[in-house]
Amino acid sequence: METLDQKNKRLKEIGRIPINPLIFWGVVSAALTTVLLLIVAASGYISGIHWLIFVPVFAYLVIMGLFLAYISRLQRDRDQLLADRLSEESHRSEELKKLNQELESYAKQLFDKDIELTMANKRLQSLEQAKSKFVAVTTHQLRTPLSAIKWTFHMMMNSHLGPVTDEQKEFLRKGYASTQRTIMIINDLLNVDYIEAEQLDYNLVSIDIVELVENIMFEFTNQAKSRNIELKFLKPTNKPPAVMADPVKIGMVLENLIDNAVKYTPVSGHVTVHLSDARINSARPGVEIIVSDSGIGIPTAERDKLFHRFFRGSNAIHLEPNGTGLGLFIARDVIEKHGGELWFESKEGSGSNFHFTLPLFTSKAKT
Amino acid sequence: MENNGENGKKRVLFVEDDEFLRSLTVKRLEKEGYDIEVAVDGENAISILEKAHPDVVLLDLLLPGKDGFEVLQTIRSTESVKTVPVVIFSNLGQKEDIDKAKALGVEEFLIKANFTLDDVVAKINKLTGRA
Repeated sequence: METLDQKNKRLKEIGRIPINPLIFWGVVSAALTTVLLLIVAASGYISGIHWLIFVPVFAYLVIMGLFLAYISRLQRDRDQLLADRLSEESHRSEELKKLNQELESYAKQLFDKDIELTMANKRLQSLEQAKSKFVAVTTHQLRTPLSAIKWTFHMMMNSHLGPVTDEQKEFLRKGYASTQRTIMIINDLLNVDYIEAEQLDYNLVSIDIVELVENIMFEFTNQAKSRNIELKFLKPTNKPPAVMADPVKIGMVLENLIDNAVKYTPVSGHVTVHLSDARINSARPGVEIIVSDSGIGIPTAERDKLFHRFFRGSNAIHLEPNGTGLGLFIARDVIEKHGGELWFESKEGSGSNFHFTLPLFTSKAKT
Repeated sequence: MENNGENGKKRVLFVEDDEFLRSLTVKRLEKEGYDIEVAVDGENAISILEKAHPDVVLLDLLLPGKDGFEVLQTIRSTESVKTVPVVIFSNLGQKEDIDKAKALGVEEFLIKANFTLDDVVAKINKLTGRA
């Protein structure tokens, strides 16, 4: 079977043979030959050689016959090729038309899908907005009465509203701590919402990390003492250089890690905060803080999930039913946003060490 | 810092619509020796602003009628009190609220639930040069 390309090539070759001039020259030469032959025939007749008359006529007929046969064959070939090409082309255009129709229908389907997706996206966005709004409004509504309770407890336990006995003070302190815990849970929920919306605002400044750790640890003095837990801070002998951090957010991380350590350490255990120089990713100079405890530890099977939001360890739930499972998720996000790292090692039943690093303050760094 | 109050006391304009939070805060600040001028809503705050001429403004954001942002705007565009330090004291605390307040010019943005009144006293002491 001849391919279309081969046919086209042949058509081109035939097209190069000038058929019309051939016919023209055929006719002209036929006329000239006729004249010539008439002369030959006439001279034959005059000279009396009668058969000479038939030779040119015969020769003429043979030549003309061959010529016409050649021309008509060329013509036929060309017509055939042209017809083939036409049918081939119409076939092709038919196919193209079909393909085009298919494409158009695909395009339409895609367009419809696109509209569907856009609409679904809009629905998701509005749900997301509604959720954020809900979280913001609810937390605000909860925070106001909680502020009132917290301040009242705090004012009373500090004798700002009149003298209180030591026993009353202890009750007030517990009331204050419970309120504070509730506020922390609400803040965790709000922070997760901010993290998801990438809206957590960082105010990076130069901070004295030793002072910050000491302040946060001070908050846990009573809680640790009440359960006979030894709370220690091992700081380097030389004062470490300033750290680049948002003091509120890092305070929150420390609060969270120390709170966990104290909460999940049995009576008479120990919690130690250790501060030292470090290299972040073995390059950038920074500090490393380790919060280690002699607590219940993290079961091996649950280690991968520890930083998932809302995840709570099976042994942790048993000890403290009222947690959100958000603290570590937020802590890791906060530390990573600071350019540091947060990790842990743990042995179930004998304790955990939570490490995090923070970069040192450099005057070049942008806040 | 200017001394406006009687007996040389520093004056705090406290704008807060919640009565209980207001009474606790007033009690705590008075104990600390401040002269407190109270406004219960935005309109009230704006109307007494110039006469009170405070050393510090402690401003809630969600207020009936004119909100805290409007009060803040008025403070920043009123010649006589233009440079008075303003501490936002609210339970709003979303990024857009904080950004908006900072753009208008505030010294501090405190979320009520996250602080005690002792913390507030410490901030105000610092701003009035008492710390």
